[in-house]
Amino acid sequence: MTRRVAIVGTSAIPVGRHQTRADEPLQVLEQEIMTRLVVQAVQDAGVEKKDIGSLVLTLPRPYTMQKYFSTFLVSHLRLNCTGSVLEVMGNGMTAAVCFDRACDEILLGRTDVALALGINMEAATPAAEHAMSSMRTTGDVDFHASSGFIPISWYAMDAMRYMHEYGATREHFAAVAVKNRWHASMNPLAQFRKPITLEETLAQRQIVEPLGLYDVPGRSDGAACLVLASEEVAKSLGRPYAIVRGRGFCHDGSHQINEVPNDMTELIAAKEASATAYKQAGVTANDIDVAEFYAPCTPVEVLVSEAVGFFGRGEGAPAAAEGQTKVGGRIPISTSGGLTSRGHPAYVTSLYNYCEIADQLRGRAGERQVKDARLGLTTGELGNYNAALVHVLEAQR
Amino acid sequence: MTLESINVARPRAYPPRMSAFTQPFWEGLKAGQWQSTCCEACGKHTFPPKPVCPHCWSDRMAWKDLSSRGTLYSWTRIHSAPKVFVDEAPYAVCVVDLDMGLRIATRLVAREGKAFQCGMPVELVVLQFEDGPLLASRPL
Repeated sequence: MTRRVAIVGTSAIPVGRHQTRADEPLQVLEQEIMTRLVVQAVQDAGVEKKDIGSLVLTLPRPYTMQKYFSTFLVSHLRLNCTGSVLEVMGNGMTAAVCFDRACDEILLGRTDVALALGINMEAATPAAEHAMSSMRTTGDVDFHASSGFIPISWYAMDAMRYMHEYGATREHFAAVAVKNRWHASMNPLAQFRKPITLEETLAQRQIVEPLGLYDVPGRSDGAACLVLASEEVAKSLGRPYAIVRGRGFCHDGSHQINEVPNDMTELIAAKEASATAYKQAGVTANDIDVAEFYAPCTPVEVLVSEAVGFFGRGEGAPAAAEGQTKVGGRIPISTSGGLTSRGHPAYVTSLYNYCEIADQLRGRAGERQVKDARLGLTTGELGNYNAALVHVLEAQR
Repeated sequence: MTLESINVARPRAYPPRMSAFTQPFWEGLKAGQWQSTCCEACGKHTFPPKPVCPHCWSDRMAWKDLSSRGTLYSWTRIHSAPKVFVDEAPYAVCVVDLDMGLRIATRLVAREGKAFQCGMPVELVVLQFEDGPLLASRPL
């Protein structure tokens, strides 16, 4: 029988501001957070320290003083790994790749239990300063960054184009922000939990037109740990778990824009990666009960909801405004609060998304629980969704 | 075809690096020349200029002039800028589909009485900063 992988345990600190400024007398140290999280996640899973054969860590931000953090952390835990110990980096996809690589450790038979974990510390670094680094991550550093492009400017141009083609409005996108804030109000891990109204959202200052402050992510620190296990081990633990049923990846061969003009808002990579994941899982988009997207801005959530097949082209925005994507709606999306309200500690963002899907599928999402959630979908991405990594997970209770 | 130049009384906020390979592009742009590489094996244009064709991987690349007109595919105005661009904010950037079938992204500058709108015709211009040029688009 083909090996399969399950999420059997999770832990995370609330997303928010954890990083200390360099001049503060008492500093927050990453290893102190991570060792506590590992112990919590392992207790949640019910596995033992000796079972863990692989550790896949997301690359810390450059602001983390301790380098080679993965091997440093292994020493704090005195883990004896015979699979792999490594740090992965894939820009916005970093945490999704971390999860995927940890799955591979089990699928390859290198271990029966693996940790996928990481910490992202950046919030004490001023936004304009951090932007000097992030503007080098999208487009071409010489031909685009020199003109002042920044990561979210590409999503803003998606929004502008989508509005032009389909008649979507700022109110449609604002509805996504309001919905996600409502979800976040029910999530103890979320950074921004005070409910907001449509009027308040539309009244915020502009960041990248047509997007205002509540349409874009804030600055966030975060840390999370997932315990993954082979299906055999997962079954033996006698607790609910979420099994990975399908996985799809696609890089469309471009970076931000396709120099051969295409339909930029179609998000072809997300479309193809989700089709692959559905096929592997033997399901269709209609079977999915809950989804956690990597969607840094409100229009991205709309575009991804179409690309993965939940809605037809141009229908995602009105559907969101009608409440079809909220808890209790036809297909709840970003029940955690999403990147705009749960928070976006970029290099670990997807770890939080897997935590949320695991909570939903293990039936412990509290007030924001999607009733009878059986199949969940996650997306990770990089560029302007030029690459997408999609997983379909199923509840086993 | 020579692009119109617009003088900007300041140095570029985040100057691009120039390589021996891209030097003809930047020096040409300073003189108003809009050119990039075209593959002699498969005939496809590419921008930014590249020594290897991304389509067929041939290294037989030649400099060719590009069309200076196109359509505004999308745009945004950036209010929240990185440190070096704070003085210029808000400023607009865009994605343009050139008439010859190449998609590029540039700074977007205003023309009196023409609000930016997806689908509108645009032309390319050169912003001549004190230390060198940058490509930009402007409504026609």
